Amino acid sequence: MSDSILLLTMVVPVAAGLAVLAIRRSLGILREVLTVLVTLANLAVAIVLFGQDLTYVRPWAGFGMDFSLRLYQFSGFILLAVAGFSLLVALYSWKFMRGRPKLNQYYAYLLISVGLTNGAVLADNLVVLLFCWEGLLLTLLGMIAIGRPGAWKTATKAFLIVGVTDLCLMLGVALTGWMAGSLSLSAIAAKPLPLDALGSLAFVLLMIGAISKAGSMPFHSWIPDAAVDAPLPFMAFLPASLEKLLGIYMLARITLDLFPLAPESWLSLLLMIVGCVTILLAVAMALVQRDYKRLLSYHAISQVGYMILGIGTAVPIGIVGGLFHMINHAMYKSCLFLTGGAVERQAGTTDLSRLGGLAAKMPVTFTCFFIAAASISGVPPFNGFFSKELVYDGALERHWVFYAAALLGSLLTAASFLKLGHAAYLGKRDAANDGVKEAPLSMLLPMIVIAGMCVLFGVYNPLPLNHLIQPVLGARLEGHTFAGLPGNWWLVAATCVVLGLALVNHLYGVRRTGAGLGAVDHIHHAPVLHGIYDRAERRWFDPYDLGLRGVGVVSQILWGLDRAIDWLYDSLAVGLATTLGKGIRLAHTGQYAMYVIWSLAGAAAIVAFLAGVF
Amino acid sequence: MTFEAVILLLAVLVPTIGAFALPLVSGLSRRLRNGAAFVLVATALVCSAALVPSAVAGQGPTVRLDFPLGLNFVLHADGLAVFMAIVSSLISTIIVLYSTSYISHYEHQDEYYLMVVLFLGAMMGLVYAGNLILLYVFWEVTAIASWRLIGFFREPQHVVRADKALLVTVFGALAMLLGFISIYAQTGSFDLTTIQERLGGAPLPSLAVALILAGILSKSATLPFHTWLPDAGVAPSPVTALLHAAVLVKIGVYVFARLFIVTFTVTPEWHTAILVVAAASALVSAGAALIDTDLKRIIAYSTVSQIAFIFLGLASGTVMGIAGALLYILMHGIAKGGLFLCAGIVEQNTHTKDIRQMGGLARTMPVTAFSFLFCALSVMGIPPFGGFFAKYMVISGAVQGGQLAVALVFLVGAVLTILYLFRVFNRVFLGEATSSVHEGSRVMVACVALLAVLALVSGIFIAPSSWFAQAAVEQMLGMGK
Repeated sequence: MSDSILLLTMVVPVAAGLAVLAIRRSLGILREVLTVLVTLANLAVAIVLFGQDLTYVRPWAGFGMDFSLRLYQFSGFILLAVAGFSLLVALYSWKFMRGRPKLNQYYAYLLISVGLTNGAVLADNLVVLLFCWEGLLLTLLGMIAIGRPGAWKTATKAFLIVGVTDLCLMLGVALTGWMAGSLSLSAIAAKPLPLDALGSLAFVLLMIGAISKAGSMPFHSWIPDAAVDAPLPFMAFLPASLEKLLGIYMLARITLDLFPLAPESWLSLLLMIVGCVTILLAVAMALVQRDYKRLLSYHAISQVGYMILGIGTAVPIGIVGGLFHMINHAMYKSCLFLTGGAVERQAGTTDLSRLGGLAAKMPVTFTCFFIAAASISGVPPFNGFFSKELVYDGALERHWVFYAAALLGSLLTAASFLKLGHAAYLGKRDAANDGVKEAPLSMLLPMIVIAGMCVLFGVYNPLPLNHLIQPVLGARLEGHTFAGLPGNWWLVAATCVVLGLALVNHLYGVRRTGAGLGAVDHIHHAPVLHGIYDRAERRWFDPYDLGLRGVGVVSQILWGLDRAIDWLYDSLAVGLATTLGKGIRLAHTGQYAMYVIWSLAGAAAIVAFLAGVF
Repeated sequence: MTFEAVILLLAVLVPTIGAFALPLVSGLSRRLRNGAAFVLVATALVCSAALVPSAVAGQGPTVRLDFPLGLNFVLHADGLAVFMAIVSSLISTIIVLYSTSYISHYEHQDEYYLMVVLFLGAMMGLVYAGNLILLYVFWEVTAIASWRLIGFFREPQHVVRADKALLVTVFGALAMLLGFISIYAQTGSFDLTTIQERLGGAPLPSLAVALILAGILSKSATLPFHTWLPDAGVAPSPVTALLHAAVLVKIGVYVFARLFIVTFTVTPEWHTAILVVAAASALVSAGAALIDTDLKRIIAYSTVSQIAFIFLGLASGTVMGIAGALLYILMHGIAKGGLFLCAGIVEQNTHTKDIRQMGGLARTMPVTAFSFLFCALSVMGIPPFGGFFAKYMVISGAVQGGQLAVALVFLVGAVLTILYLFRVFNRVFLGEATSSVHEGSRVMVACVALLAVLALVSGIFIAPSSWFAQAAVEQMLGMGK
């Protein structure tokens, strides 16, 4: 097979996206058909390519910026996952998006995102990676902006946050390329760079780009806003799956290939702290949300913490756990968002106070929700349980503090999903929901497929672990395998206790308030937490708002400086010239004698100069 | 005289001399005059493009007339000059096309076309000049032409602003002339190649460097000589596009490249000094762009800020940085020209330049809105737009030159760029519509759309321009000889 197929995985979706943009509304379902066909073909290609080694190199922009793509085990795996999610989201969107405005833009952005993601995954040159990676900013901007009216504000916010971190990535790429003397990822991987002072700076810059794409704190605050403003499949598509895959893939490439991360390094510590903070703060926010989509979006942030924690441990079991969690998260979180979309479409709202008792009306959706929620909460035997156990094991190997933080995160995760499930699917049915029906098949199908995968990847975890994830680490594993049942039964016992606690907490909260929605009110309204939550809801802690305020102050100062410089020209220079002119005019008295004196003085000065007096 | 020397001469003389014929042609027909202006500018473009193969091969033509006292008239086309000439004349061609619609409602059109074409002709002379005095003369011709063009509407405040622009740039030019004279005093020649031989690689005296820099910084509107540029936003929009975006402000950076990289050597401290000045310029003007509320002033501040990135690349002293700076000149010229021309459409249809009074224009002028967005994205340096490569190469060049701290400052500048461009775009094109306006005339909209498409295509197909820039830089640094 020719190596050009790698280029086609990029070019074909992008070209199809541009074609969709031009398709008129009157042509009916042509847009949807084209999108599904292209994503289907993309999946077929990804399946065929999986397991192969291919390289594509062409000269491009000079200065070592070759257009090079490389397919190998790791990129093939991510390519496959990306293709799978794209197809399912495309299928789901068919019915969900029907009749909405700006559909051709929606499908165009979807396809272009697929092409650019493929490019970023396959890129073997840092600049090609940066090109595709930053190019995704455009589809991010576009997909949010076509949401409900006023969504462009959120779109701008997302663009700015991700754009700023992409600039950090740009500097990181420049620095890495300069240090290594090459921009080729495989060339650098063959001779990895040390984490000295400069190397650490490059590492941090690259890391900022990677974890921001994955949606980690403090680069997260656009995600909950987008959950409300953007069309729902976007959430399942970019923040829940594609961006996580890309960001964590990149983080793994950095820590494994470019700057091999040792557990002793302070950067490992930094990553673990970022991971734990993200887990805890985001899940704490998720706990008190009263909207289906917003609640899920905070979990999309929180779960990244586990992946970053796992990779940050820099021990094999943690890295395997982090990567396994990445693919698991992409599955259950996109499934959860899709159930949210089904509820939104069928019941007309995602406000939890107006939902309830949907399980009887939408049994398939509920079943999918149940499986995905159990997975994310780490209930055995679903996939999330196994990956979390691996991350726990890695975290404990480093320090019990990280393990404790991760476990506390799990407690709150389970509690918030009990609340969500109870409030939306169980409990008293709202009279307005009487006419609700199950979602159409084209929307159910993607959910069923993903939920089935959640079960499969849990019950039969050697499939993903032995074939997709562990080969990434290769020799580092020294023959170990983490497939099968967890190795440390104490950790499993602790997990079960924590899940039990979450259930007890839920029952207590429900009895206290009499409704599923109020299950965590006793935490929400606890003495100190209450004040913090109120301020967080008022966006006191949004890094974006804080940053903008800071920029506002700085630019006022710079503007003052600019005005001061302008004053030098407009007032000072003009004033000087006028004053000087007035002074000289005083000398022009019109008296003949005075002019003679001036002339003589001038002549004397010339003579003196010529005589060499000066 | 060889065929290529004739082409070189035509590239300079056709617009310079032809400009004076335009008012006469106008007596016959206004349309003919517009067409003639377009043809004159396009001639410069075509002739310059025809010089590409020989210039890149290092065998560019030279036209030479010797006078006594070491004075002479020399035009020479090397890679750098041809690159610059193509960029200027390409954008000028589109701007002249746009003008035919924009300016058609106003008086003094003859003067307008005369000055615009003369300006471009002088620009051609300046880039091909191989002699300091010739360079100075063309430099001042551009100053005079821009003076008339900024004050084109003749309102008292506009005339004051035009005078300010003239005074600041001429002050700088006179300082530069003193610098040239001090070089003459040392070497006995104004001819660039002769000076290069006689100096034999010795660095220029600091006084000469400082004087010439004053000229360069004032022409390229860099701190502390920059405030004339936003003030000159009172000019007709195609003029601001021509002066502030594409051509005039690039004169300074071009002469910097020509004198301080190709011809003379300067001590490394000067490069550091330039980097510091450029970094300050990038930040101050970006901050001002975030506060100002006049559409064209904001874009003008943005130009000041982006020029600093070009200086960053040039002063980095690395091949990649300098090539990045050349690409930046191209990409920024296209994108910023597009932004100013979009602003012209907005200004003409809403009758205001205050962004606080605008909103929701995307609904009524979608093509302009998308063109503005595309050009803005290119200025921000977002792929696949051309600005991405320019920004990456400039930053990368700075890193390779060991200027990591400066690169970090410029990263902040790049962040501010994204902020102020989105602020403008959101205020003007999104949100609630404040007035009912319609799309601009077909010609004007086509021009901005063309520039937007160019911004995109130049990025996706980066190879030709990158190859050209690389070849020009290798020639400039005397590599591969």
